[in-house]
Amino acid sequence: MNEIVLLDKINKFYGDEVVVQVLFDIDLAIKGGQFTAFIGPSGSGKSTLLNIVGLLETPTSGAVFLDGQDISGMSKDELASYRNEKIGFIFQFHYLLPEFTALENILIPYWIGKGKPPEKVVSRAMYLMERIGIEMCSNKYPHQLSGGQQQRVAIARSLINRPKLLLADEPTGNLDSKTSNMVMELLREIVRVDKMNLVMVTHDRDIAAGVDRVIEIVDGRINNDSAVE
Amino acid sequence: MRFNTYEFMIACRFLMSGRSQTILIILGIAVGVAVQVFLISLMDGLQRNLIQRTIGSSPHITIAPPLSSPQPQGIGSGTIDDCQMPLKIEEGEILSWQRYNEYLEGTPGITVAAPMVNGNGYIEKGRSSFPVIIKGVTLPEADVIYKFKGNLVNGDIRPGGNNVLIGTASSEKSGLQVGDTFYLRNQKGTGDHFMIQGIFDLGSSAANNMVVMSLERAQAFLDVVGISAIEIQVQDVFAADNLAERLRGAFSRIKVESWQERNKELLSGLRSQDTSSAMIQFFVLLSITLGIASVLAIIAIQKSRQLGILKAMGTNDKGAARIFIIQGFSMGFAGALVGILLGLGLAELFMIGTKSSGGPTYELKITLTNILLPALLATAAASVAALVPARRAAGLNPMEVIRNE
Ligand SMILES: Nc1ncnc2c1ncn2[C@@H]1O[C@H](COP(=O)(O)OP(=O)(O)OP(=O)(O)O)[C@@H](O)[C@H]1O
Ligand SMILES: [Mg+2]
Repeated sequence: MNEIVLLDKINKFYGDEVVVQVLFDIDLAIKGGQFTAFIGPSGSGKSTLLNIVGLLETPTSGAVFLDGQDISGMSKDELASYRNEKIGFIFQFHYLLPEFTALENILIPYWIGKGKPPEKVVSRAMYLMERIGIEMCSNKYPHQLSGGQQQRVAIARSLINRPKLLLADEPTGNLDSKTSNMVMELLREIVRVDKMNLVMVTHDRDIAAGVDRVIEIVDGRINNDSAVE
Repeated sequence: MRFNTYEFMIACRFLMSGRSQTILIILGIAVGVAVQVFLISLMDGLQRNLIQRTIGSSPHITIAPPLSSPQPQGIGSGTIDDCQMPLKIEEGEILSWQRYNEYLEGTPGITVAAPMVNGNGYIEKGRSSFPVIIKGVTLPEADVIYKFKGNLVNGDIRPGGNNVLIGTASSEKSGLQVGDTFYLRNQKGTGDHFMIQGIFDLGSSAANNMVVMSLERAQAFLDVVGISAIEIQVQDVFAADNLAERLRGAFSRIKVESWQERNKELLSGLRSQDTSSAMIQFFVLLSITLGIASVLAIIAIQKSRQLGILKAMGTNDKGAARIFIIQGFSMGFAGALVGILLGLGLAELFMIGTKSSGGPTYELKITLTNILLPALLATAAASVAALVPARRAAGLNPMEVIRNE
């Protein structure tokens, strides 16, 4: 089984009094080493689907397999440590912790999982910053950084634990087009060089242009899949 | 509970990012702890001083014939026969007192058992006469209880024959000094001449009204064969009532009275003082707890964004809760440390203050317990207060944060 993500009949409902179905019987297999994009109009359920893959939300019904492992039986704590070890998150907003410097922010996922980072891990954080072009930001606090720099710190943070799967929800949604191109280039490079599995949400077809596979979601269903054409 | 180092780091950064509110709440705790340290030390010092003054130069347990007391209370039921021989008690005297004394001196917990002969008399000087208390003692024993030697104002301490010690009160009202000879009359009307060898000050007017002579001389002077009482000094002052109870179990024809029984009002006064200071402590702790709970609740709301991110990155519910417990504990601990210093400073100021205004009547009792107890309680209260925001942090769903941008 070489699918990094396998979704089996995923349904998602929201609400208690007014129940809304957001996802309808989603079946999806994503192979390893690919850059996949979910596109679609606003409210179509892209983020919901990505968060289910990222174990931040639980589907109302259906099964999620990550890297061949059925996660449906996992406890809340097990899900948390699975997210910590195997999944890197990049969100539309950088979500850095304002109380910590860029370098410290990058190290936090390691710290949560394994305790105080050894020299080796700190060097890796420095290397990631250098590679991403933000080495001069290491001792700065998030509010001292530009939007593009903040998002790049978040990308470095998502990579620190060498995750299996990188999930990005509109990573360029908050950036100008120049910075946005730079971040996309960086993400493509990470997939190519590190053989990373990356799933990204965007509603912008141009942004999705350079990826391996584009899955279009409309009204909670897969409307179009570039791999199936 | 396993703590992870990053939880400490995050707790610490959270506290530092809201520096002024953190400092304020720590100061609040510190003031609370300082007040408690000061109050407890003050109360403790006051109570010890009162007790010291009450029993400092008086017996811890008194054994007397029942007739000397108007109500025959305090008389034991007696399980062993008193000193294995029939006791003769006549008109308020203990005749077979040596046997009692031997038994008492062999009882563990008793440091001294001193036989006493008590009576009333009058110092006659010219046409005036001054009522005094006549006390016959065996000196080494009586000195353990009354500390004549330590409280001697003038003269020497070996009463024998017609040499006597008198208290400052009787000295002052009669104008007698060391070396003076005076006529002492007993209640039966007879009397004799005595010479003052020393003058003592025991700190209470009743005790300073005594004329102290040897046991034998007092027996002869007051015309008695036995003694009036055996006065006892014990090792553990606060166990005197228990010991008295045990003696009551051993003797059947004698009245045993501990200092606690003699000073019921004082002790119940002290107890109500304890209750009121416990109430003050309780309310101080309550306000510490409420203060910390509200500040941490604010922090928990302010930091919900960060908590959501941390949870998305793998912090579990317990970890999120611990971040707040650590914050509460740290504020409590820091507040307690500062509070101890403040409290000690306050105590120092108080002592300097009382000293400059005419000498302290008593000292604050600063003991390790008096310092650590409020500090520990405050730290515990702060940690408990943190449970409320900790629960909130544990229950936070990271999606709430990530969705609501
Ligand atoms: N917690 C929630 N409770 C109720 N409805 C929700 C909740 N979260 C999302 N929804 C609804 O589910 C639908 C899908 O939301 P989702 O965020 O997945 O859309 P999206 O495709 O990511 O949209 P966008 O492009 O605007 O980010 C929307 O109609 C949204 O209002
Ligand atoms: Mg979305």
